[in-house]
Amino acid sequence: MKKIIVLLFLFVGILQVSAQKYATKTGSLKFEATVDAVEEIAAENKNTSAILESSTGDIAVLTLMKGFRFKVALMEEHFNENYVESDKFPKATFKGKVEDFDASKLSATAKAFKISGDLTLHGKTQKVTANAKISKSGDKITVTGNFDIKAQDFDIEIPKLVSNKVSNKIKVSFNLLLAKL
Amino acid sequence: MQYSTTLNMKKIFLIVSFLICLYSNAQEDLLSGLDSTQVVDKNVTATFKALQIITLQSTKLPAKKEFYMVISHRFGTVKGGISEFFGFDDATTKIGGIYGVTDWLAVSASHHTLLKMNEASLKYRLIRQSDKFPLDIVGYSTIDFNSGLKKDDYPKIEFSDRLTYVNQVLISRKFSDRLSLELVPSYIHKNLYNPAIENDNQFTLGAGGRLKLTKRLSLNLEYGENFNKPDFYNNPLSVGLDIETGGHIFQLIFTNSQSMTESGYLTSAAGDWGKGDFFFGFNLYRVF
Repeated sequence: MKKIIVLLFLFVGILQVSAQKYATKTGSLKFEATVDAVEEIAAENKNTSAILESSTGDIAVLTLMKGFRFKVALMEEHFNENYVESDKFPKATFKGKVEDFDASKLSATAKAFKISGDLTLHGKTQKVTANAKISKSGDKITVTGNFDIKAQDFDIEIPKLVSNKVSNKIKVSFNLLLAKL
Repeated sequence: MQYSTTLNMKKIFLIVSFLICLYSNAQEDLLSGLDSTQVVDKNVTATFKALQIITLQSTKLPAKKEFYMVISHRFGTVKGGISEFFGFDDATTKIGGIYGVTDWLAVSASHHTLLKMNEASLKYRLIRQSDKFPLDIVGYSTIDFNSGLKKDDYPKIEFSDRLTYVNQVLISRKFSDRLSLELVPSYIHKNLYNPAIENDNQFTLGAGGRLKLTKRLSLNLEYGENFNKPDFYNNPLSVGLDIETGGHIFQLIFTNSQSMTESGYLTSAAGDWGKGDFFFGFNLYRVF
């Protein structure tokens, strides 16, 4: 019986060690598809959820398309209605891994990493690789970075009429302040 | 005793294994943990592309601090044929602006070349269609000032005689991505009217809708039944196409009622579809 109790504690111990998750519900995700400086096509979602498993470097991010805020309300409406079709495809997700991640080597000074994985958007999944910087102070891990995607890779149609205003190449950037769970 | 302890150990081991299994499953999909944490905005949006279905107002309002400029034309009747260039020679124009004071209140002012009318309006959202309520309900009130009436023709005219009021309730429902329908009961009061041919108070019931043909193109239809109209006017019936091009919304229109004020449109439709007597026109919106 004593053995069992010891084993039990051991298991619980393992559980606690391996369950080092860091997460946020208020991460920032921005994108920009501006062609010229005349009309900025950009939006930010400040309610992006993200979770990082620090023992493995696994990372998952989820954001709701209707949570993106544009400067111009009509742009936001067109974005949801015509471009990403938010009623049909309400969310975008990313599931990937921070390459060569070692939580014990993180410090307050940001280190460069690559994060690669699957981005699902508008019902399409594509591999993406982001350049990221990760720092840690106390119980908080900050992950920032950016990557580029192409609208056509996700079947997001940009009409010819606005192709001189809306870029097919979209710059995505993120800023995630993850707190220990 | 020994036996039961072994049994307990087995049980505990099973439970622990079970928990570990559960745990490792959870670890496999970090995403599923995120799924449940977010709340979606449940309000229905984009019921109509433009602020108007055709000439009647839609339940769309400008967003807060958004400014729309509107330029509309209704040409003369196409019945005139080539000698009037199918109505082009008798074009009438409306120019105006609409401003979103808040997300639920908009003010507008416009000038109409037809009868030299000036119109001011208030548009206010009462309730939004959402997962909790099936309809959008918006109030719309206009006051028209007729600056075309001349002192020479009406020596006793006073300021108030130039005014006409319209109060409407716009009730719409977005049935699907493609189909939205609207009902528009209206009450119209004219301070200046000819009692021999019309009432100073008139009630109409309008209905309209849009069917999206593609993402950026929709077919619109609207009709208004006037319960107090004189015989020589018809009920307004219009058909239009919405074409959305980024910051612009362009509406192509065919109608039997040339006026672009609410009261003129609803009470003075002079055209007759059956006789090929109708007007071509367009609304052009630019958002700032």
